[in-house]
Amino acid sequence: MKRQVPLALCFLFGIAMILTQFSPHSYSQAVYREVIVWGLIISPFALVLAVATLAQTHVSRIRFRSEHWQYSIVVFVGMITMVCVGVPFGPKNSVFEWLYDNVQVPMDATMFSLLAFFIASAAFRAFRARAFEATLLLIAAMIVMLGNVPVGDLFWNKLLSLIPGSDNPESWVNSFADGASRFRQWILDIPNGAARRGIILGVSLGVISQSIRIILGIERSYLGGGD
Amino acid sequence: MELFGIWVAAFLTLCIYSFLYRDNPFYRFAEHLFVGISVGYGIVIAIHQGVIPLAWEPLSEAVSALWTEITGETTPEIRSALWGLFKIIPIAFGLLFFARLSPRHNWLVRYPIAILIGFGAGIAIPNMLQANIFEQTRATIEPFGAIGPFVDVPPEARLSALDIFGAILMVIGVICTLTYFFFSVEHRGPINWLSKVGIAFLMIGFGAAFGNTVMGRLALMIHRVGFLINEWIGSFGALF
Repeated sequence: MKRQVPLALCFLFGIAMILTQFSPHSYSQAVYREVIVWGLIISPFALVLAVATLAQTHVSRIRFRSEHWQYSIVVFVGMITMVCVGVPFGPKNSVFEWLYDNVQVPMDATMFSLLAFFIASAAFRAFRARAFEATLLLIAAMIVMLGNVPVGDLFWNKLLSLIPGSDNPESWVNSFADGASRFRQWILDIPNGAARRGIILGVSLGVISQSIRIILGIERSYLGGGD
Repeated sequence: MELFGIWVAAFLTLCIYSFLYRDNPFYRFAEHLFVGISVGYGIVIAIHQGVIPLAWEPLSEAVSALWTEITGETTPEIRSALWGLFKIIPIAFGLLFFARLSPRHNWLVRYPIAILIGFGAGIAIPNMLQANIFEQTRATIEPFGAIGPFVDVPPEARLSALDIFGAILMVIGVICTLTYFFFSVEHRGPINWLSKVGIAFLMIGFGAAFGNTVMGRLALMIHRVGFLINEWIGSFGALF
């Protein structure tokens, strides 16, 4: 009951999703759509676990007066404000939208932009060309960054203009104009594309094998410990 | 209200940037507020875009249809609305997540988790096969179908020398990258060389990803600084 039923449910839902996706019959497609809706209905309830864990952590911080416990109150104020405004009045409510536009979005963007500073120090460590592989990483990153900004092409075209005969519009030199952005695109499309494709193929084969193990009940770690 | 919003956003932006000096109460305030607001937003979206349209509305329609059916007025629309009663099953499984809060019954939480895991695994197999394995392999091989003069393609559709070089490099890169992740044989001799070429491709890929990430973060920073200069400092005129 505690382990066999969940394993059976996992098997049934897994097999149902596989079979209905491969079958074009209208009944099969109706089952497929219904099971997807069931999954979408169940998954928001999983948020309960996340919120319960978050609340548990911050309640205990407040109760035991841990260091910086006052900020845990700020977490609850933010969460309760959004829930009190959003749940009864909906996400289209003007106050909810105001909070989203003027509190959440700016903080989200600023948090991520903060990484620009830390990534710069990480870049300094990563870009020290101590080995052949590190040099490749450095060159690829430099080309991509230079090709992303107009100054890259400006610098490249300036270099091209130093070649004799480049002022002639018919010159072969002009076919290499805007080379920084073009080379960046080539790096993104070909060597980067090949590496990503290799990773995607490997990851997908891993996901498929792991999914088969889960459906067949070989992989049971999601059930947790205990009986 | 718009001006107040600009000032609130500017205050929170400056609070977060104050971390560049060192950890301080302003940053901690903004950080915790961000966590709370984001979780609250997630709850609202999950309820209004998940629970209400997918479960609550069909279920309440089904209950009123059932009442109409009992009172004797039945139509095909009412009968089809009765199917909404089946939404009780996923709702019941979803409610089992609350069992996590009871130490005696917390094993019940395995039921909805097992359904979601099985659901995800079942969806992943055909989708991964189709989108990631067949399509990626097809896209790797497809350019060779346009290499003239050996195949029957119009001259304008034939690949240039650079495109052919790119297509060959792509195949070499994919095979070498996969070889690097192939641990069933010892990396010796030719396999070792292929895997070393694979590392080179991976490093270029990581470098490109790193470069793109740096530029993305810088773009965000420019946007925030632009907001502070143009909108926030620009709003001083309206105040003073």
